[in-house]
Amino acid sequence: MSDKTSLKHLPSYKSLADASYSACIYTVAGLALLILLGPVVIVLITSLTDGQTLRFPPTGLSLRWYQELFSARSTPIHRAAGNSLLVALVSALAAAVLGCMASLAIARSRRRGARVMDSLFMSPLILPGIAFGLAALVYFTMIGFRPSLALITIGHIVMVTPFVLRTTSASLAQLDGTLLECSASLGATRWYSFRRITLPIIFPGLVAGGFMAFMASIDNVPVSLFLSSPRSDMLPIRLWGMMESTLDVRIAAVSGIFIVSVLVLMLVMERLVGLSRRLND
Amino acid sequence: MNPHITRRQLLAGAGVMGACAMFPKLALAQQGSATTAIYPGAWEEAYRGIVAEALRETHGIDLQMQPLFAVDQIAQARAARGNPSFDTFVLDPGPRVTAIESGLFDTFDASRLENSAHLEPGMADEHGVPVAAQFVGIAYNPNRFDEPPTDWADLFEEPYVSRLGLTGFQTTFGTVSIIEMAKAFGGSEENVEPFFEELQRVLPHVATIGTPASMPSLFQQGQCDIMYTNTQTVGTLRARGVDIEFVRPASGVITFFTTMHIARGANEVDNAYKYIDTVLSTPVQQQLMADPYFMAPVNSEVDLADLPLSDMSEIANMVQHDWSLINPRRAEWIERFNREVAS
Amino acid sequence: MQLPKSAQWQLALPLSLFYIAFFAAPLLLLIGVSFFNDEMLTQPGLGNWRRFVSDAFYWKVTFDTVKLGVYTVCATILVGYPLALVYMQAGPRTKRILLFIILMPVLLSVVVRTFAWIVILSEQGVINQTIMALGLTSTPIRLLQTELGLVISLTQIEMPLMLLPLISVMARIDPNLIDASTSLGASRWGTLFKVIVPLSFPGLIAGCILVFASSTTAFISHSIIGGNRLIYLPLMIWQQTSVLYNWPLAAVGAIVLLVSVSLCIALITLLGRRSMRHLYV
Repeated sequence: MSDKTSLKHLPSYKSLADASYSACIYTVAGLALLILLGPVVIVLITSLTDGQTLRFPPTGLSLRWYQELFSARSTPIHRAAGNSLLVALVSALAAAVLGCMASLAIARSRRRGARVMDSLFMSPLILPGIAFGLAALVYFTMIGFRPSLALITIGHIVMVTPFVLRTTSASLAQLDGTLLECSASLGATRWYSFRRITLPIIFPGLVAGGFMAFMASIDNVPVSLFLSSPRSDMLPIRLWGMMESTLDVRIAAVSGIFIVSVLVLMLVMERLVGLSRRLND
Repeated sequence: MNPHITRRQLLAGAGVMGACAMFPKLALAQQGSATTAIYPGAWEEAYRGIVAEALRETHGIDLQMQPLFAVDQIAQARAARGNPSFDTFVLDPGPRVTAIESGLFDTFDASRLENSAHLEPGMADEHGVPVAAQFVGIAYNPNRFDEPPTDWADLFEEPYVSRLGLTGFQTTFGTVSIIEMAKAFGGSEENVEPFFEELQRVLPHVATIGTPASMPSLFQQGQCDIMYTNTQTVGTLRARGVDIEFVRPASGVITFFTTMHIARGANEVDNAYKYIDTVLSTPVQQQLMADPYFMAPVNSEVDLADLPLSDMSEIANMVQHDWSLINPRRAEWIERFNREVAS
Repeated sequence: MQLPKSAQWQLALPLSLFYIAFFAAPLLLLIGVSFFNDEMLTQPGLGNWRRFVSDAFYWKVTFDTVKLGVYTVCATILVGYPLALVYMQAGPRTKRILLFIILMPVLLSVVVRTFAWIVILSEQGVINQTIMALGLTSTPIRLLQTELGLVISLTQIEMPLMLLPLISVMARIDPNLIDASTSLGASRWGTLFKVIVPLSFPGLIAGCILVFASSTTAFISHSIIGGNRLIYLPLMIWQQTSVLYNWPLAAVGAIVLLVSVSLCIALITLLGRRSMRHLYV
């Protein structure tokens, strides 16, 4: 393959190579889909069991654990889910705004300092949650904050902003600086240039990062544990307890609900975005 | 209508609502509330259903629960420096000693509890009072073995060892079980060396060396068929249809207590005592012992049904351990265990 | 340049201040804690650092942790990149389905995900039953609590972190470039390595960094899927924090993890920049 000239003279070799390309790519992509889906399928099937515990394969199928999940007996789960959703939403939004601004500052600069700053901003991702949770608890109480939902949110913002920063920076790397210069020289304000040029380019990265930030917050155990207060019951901690002590099937049902909600959300967004696109054209 | 304004108003409204939800109402010392730390999971569920209800009925006190593992209770109390966010701790023996050494408890006055009369003598002390007993022994899948194991040493022999699920020193039940295994091979509370020697011999055959939290899943999915655990876990799993039986080791069932303590600097000391008193009351202890929670009682009036003893006084004859001896050695044991099992 | 440099830097200010107040300060505290000899933090000293550095076992644990990150990054690239290619060339409908599948692992709560992997990897699990049914082996092979099993499961868990930045960057590649490459006679393999890979490099690097950081700190997956036969730094940090209350030693472990992972990430970034420059020339 390194020898380009010989390839040109051998079209049959080239078509063979192209066939091998397709075979390779599609086989591995298929394997990737299998790996991605395997555990999800197992959890979904398990969540439909008619048995008493998380067990695979289930003895029979039923929707009882979903009914159970929506019954009054699951009120503590609902409250925990409410807290977790609120914290995740606020954290993801804050991370999107803070991370997007910071990545704009870093990506447009060629200074050495920007690179250093970039890696510093990434460091919360590398510090294990349990160590940050402990340090944050000691620090926050030292400066006079009591554990609360607000404090958990601050802790989560710290932990999840790097996701937005990384994905947005990756998208920004493709932004052609001359576009912005053109726009500015044509008299556009900076805000206008951002909205019409930068934002559309970084939008996929921003959404991807925001989504990862949201899910990382929803699933965070250690920071929430160290900073929790009597009113800040969080979903993953509750699920953890249920798994450890009783193999409660509702923890699989919760994931089932998550998957269905995101599916619905994606369909709805697709409708809205699709609609707006059609209107704009 | 200007859509811009409505959207902004909407966002502002949502923001205010979010902020309100985020900052807990400053529930200041209103009469009748107690805040307790509680283990997440079964403990919290049981206490929310049974204890909180009873406390409201008998004393009109509202129980606030803060789900925290032992480490988080100690970390929060240490960080708070005498101004803890909860009034009572719930701890196993190891963390209890750590907390005593860190001076996190108020002196406990058992005479303030009406139900202390139903406890065996010596159970309550100046640090706190037990609220639940744990009985630790061997658990196995009866479908997988012709004969049940009889004692700790059996775990290291075939056919058991190749189906054994081993856990280390990170839990209370794991630590005391390993000490009993060490004793079976000639060791003691202060010397677990014989356990490590035997472990070295059988290590390649052991089915699973897992995290305690994953043991129920591993057991149910057939990755291991024999392990050590407490009667609460066995009761819970069996009631849910898992094939599991509890074996009393020939050398005796191990017992230890989960204890409650008043936090130093607690806001609601009176209510905290009332809360603990409610936990210890006969009907509450009886309910906590029943399906689905299976929490062994400490109150002598409770009918003991399925438990490996017929009367609370027998607890004195069961195998107990001195955690002030264990704690100083635990760090070394954990490290040793890591090194021994690391592949 | 129309835009004043100072305005660019100001954009990084909010995140910088936020991180100084809520991340750097606790981190400094953690570093401070590591310089105490005793658990009650009364005697300052280098005792725990000396203990860590002089012990070959801790070095091995650190090395193993980094190695696990490297394996996981390689596996996610190898399996994930072809899927990203398929995604890039797919029609809008297929894209939507693929995106949903790619997001799946994130939607499973970490708690129930560990259960799914026990089901897949255990001795009577899905993989073992499959290969035994195919007659490839008569006795079950040990996957659960082996490094191989852990890497397989981390590949699933971390794949979205690789794919999301990758596909958001690939979406911006001008399809004309690929057409041009093909019409100039390059084979599809040639186009892949000479056009697509270089252009998607920013996304690939972002993905590598996220996957590396996340897989080296995924404590719950390490301990449940890896079991206790495999010891990694986060497990050691957890033991020292939660079981032994030896926070100084836990702090030492956390700092070592932070530094060693940061170094690796710096290396990935450096290599990325080098090869990017090389590729573009």
